Amino acid sequence: MNFNNDAALTAIMAGDNLAARNTRLREGDVIGVRILRSAANGKAADFETFEVPFRKWMRVLDVLNYVSEHFASDLAYRWSCGSKMCGTCAVRMNGREVLACWEAAEPSMTIEPLRNLPVVRDLVVDREPFERKVLSFEPWVKRTKDYAGFPEPLSHKEMKHASKALDCIACMACYSACPVIGLGELTNFAGPGPLVQLAQTALDPRNDLAKVARALEKSGIFNCVSCYKCEEACPAKIPIVSEIIEPLKAKAARVVPHMAKHALAFHKVVARRGRIDPTELIVRVQGLRILGFIPRALRLLVRGKINPLVSIFGSRSGIPASGGDLLRKHGGP
Amino acid sequence: MKLAYYPGCSAKSTCQELNEATHVVASSLGLDLVELESATCTGARELRAIDPICFHSLNVRILALAEREHLPLMTICNTCTLNLLDANDNFHKDTELANKVNERLEQEGLEYRGTTRVTHFLWVLLEEIGEEKLRQRTVNPLTDLTVAAFYGCHITRPPGRYGFVDSRNNVAIEKLARVFGCKPIDYSGRTECCGFHTAAHDERVAIRLTGQHIDSAKKNGARAMVTPCPLCHTVLDSMQREIEKDLAKKLDMPILHLPQLVGLAIGIPPEQLALQRHMVPVNLLNSAGKIDG
Repeated sequence: MNFNNDAALTAIMAGDNLAARNTRLREGDVIGVRILRSAANGKAADFETFEVPFRKWMRVLDVLNYVSEHFASDLAYRWSCGSKMCGTCAVRMNGREVLACWEAAEPSMTIEPLRNLPVVRDLVVDREPFERKVLSFEPWVKRTKDYAGFPEPLSHKEMKHASKALDCIACMACYSACPVIGLGELTNFAGPGPLVQLAQTALDPRNDLAKVARALEKSGIFNCVSCYKCEEACPAKIPIVSEIIEPLKAKAARVVPHMAKHALAFHKVVARRGRIDPTELIVRVQGLRILGFIPRALRLLVRGKINPLVSIFGSRSGIPASGGDLLRKHGGP
Repeated sequence: MKLAYYPGCSAKSTCQELNEATHVVASSLGLDLVELESATCTGARELRAIDPICFHSLNVRILALAEREHLPLMTICNTCTLNLLDANDNFHKDTELANKVNERLEQEGLEYRGTTRVTHFLWVLLEEIGEEKLRQRTVNPLTDLTVAAFYGCHITRPPGRYGFVDSRNNVAIEKLARVFGCKPIDYSGRTECCGFHTAAHDERVAIRLTGQHIDSAKKNGARAMVTPCPLCHTVLDSMQREIEKDLAKKLDMPILHLPQLVGLAIGIPPEQLALQRHMVPVNLLNSAGKIDG
């Protein structure tokens, strides 16, 4: 098995990305595949190893089908369209979320079910927690005003973000990749996938803002750590952080400002100082709870990591006001 | 080589040791840093999300300050790097936005024409200085120091920005660590998130996530961790005591800023690298200045 660059180049030139990615393997090569199987028939959950002969254009799904047909007819995995539309075949392959129907087979593969969802059996996860969240958002457009009649003015620009969200196939790859969702009940963060589903209607300008506010309030959206793991996992290539979560946060800052306390305080500090003073930010966000931080603050003070004088009286170096002016003169968000 | 230098807020407040170490190391490597004194915050994640026009104004202003000096812009913070890159990109893509932003900059006689190249100290080391020269400058090889690279998110993702199909393919720090004689170790947290960006309102996420990463680094044999981002450093180092409490175990993991690792290897005394300002003591060298085995 060696990477054949000429073959890869030929395949790319022919517009065949799958064949290009397959060029690490040749017809007849043996693919070693480890699949995480659920506990069954008295056996504990464990990896089961299979050897599958490589055939041209083989995807992860083809490998699973081969395993099912030749070695393990009881292997549970889910797929429907086989062409990146239905969003049912997402699994983890070698530690990253992929659509089985769209990912090229690799010489050696470890295949596991998605994380952060209950496993029904083997590679099949229960979609219910995900779908329950989406449903709680009342994911439909509700008008406050009567339909004005055709043609209704609705520009591409107004639908820019919502239309990106409409590319979502609800495969839940991002939900599996999200580290905050991985922490379980620690926060009320809804997770990237449900937020994309919410954005389909919440970022539609025709929607009732009161309903959007209700949904956002349940979303825990400000617990997103902006790590972009979701964007990395998304097979539909939706810019989830920059085109979905950020516009939703902006909307939340307007319609449910108490949720955006941290972001709004950040804005105020930068407008005042030009730069962030971490102490002032924490005081503004935490309010009286700051008292609990005193022991830590003293430790930071000893190492010169915070400077209360600067926090209270401002920095002596003094960033020219012009930077802060950019924010002050033009009002808040 | 002359560079416009943008340290960002963190290196000017809670991580001043990073700013100090960067100056010392850069000057030793022949980099002439012109600090953009009047530069503001880039808006981190919060301002970026809720006020896109102001976000772009702040970033384009910094790009314009560097352009005025005719210099490439070097950062030392992941989030600032991504913000500046994104703002620069949007400036080129969206003429309406570009005009709007330039109108605001006009008030202080600035105009951005779109020519500034943004780079991070990590990339300057690899791309401008190069492994060969760094190898020659390594007078104090950190032989056998097992280090865990902690990249953080914004120098690695989003995928479209940096081109990694799998962000775990980022190996820039490991390459450098090998040049300096270290043994980089593999562990689960390399390109994971420290949780800094929500820590001001709820630090439990940062504590829990970063606890997993330090724990994994330690289990895989790391003596120290090294990061190119002061925000990651803040969680890894300044919050390590809270992390230990959450995990109910001692970690004692020294966290180096990237320039400090370089500085130790090229023979800069630890005091000049401000290692004494860390919350977790960094006792890696013995009295002879060698790695304490």
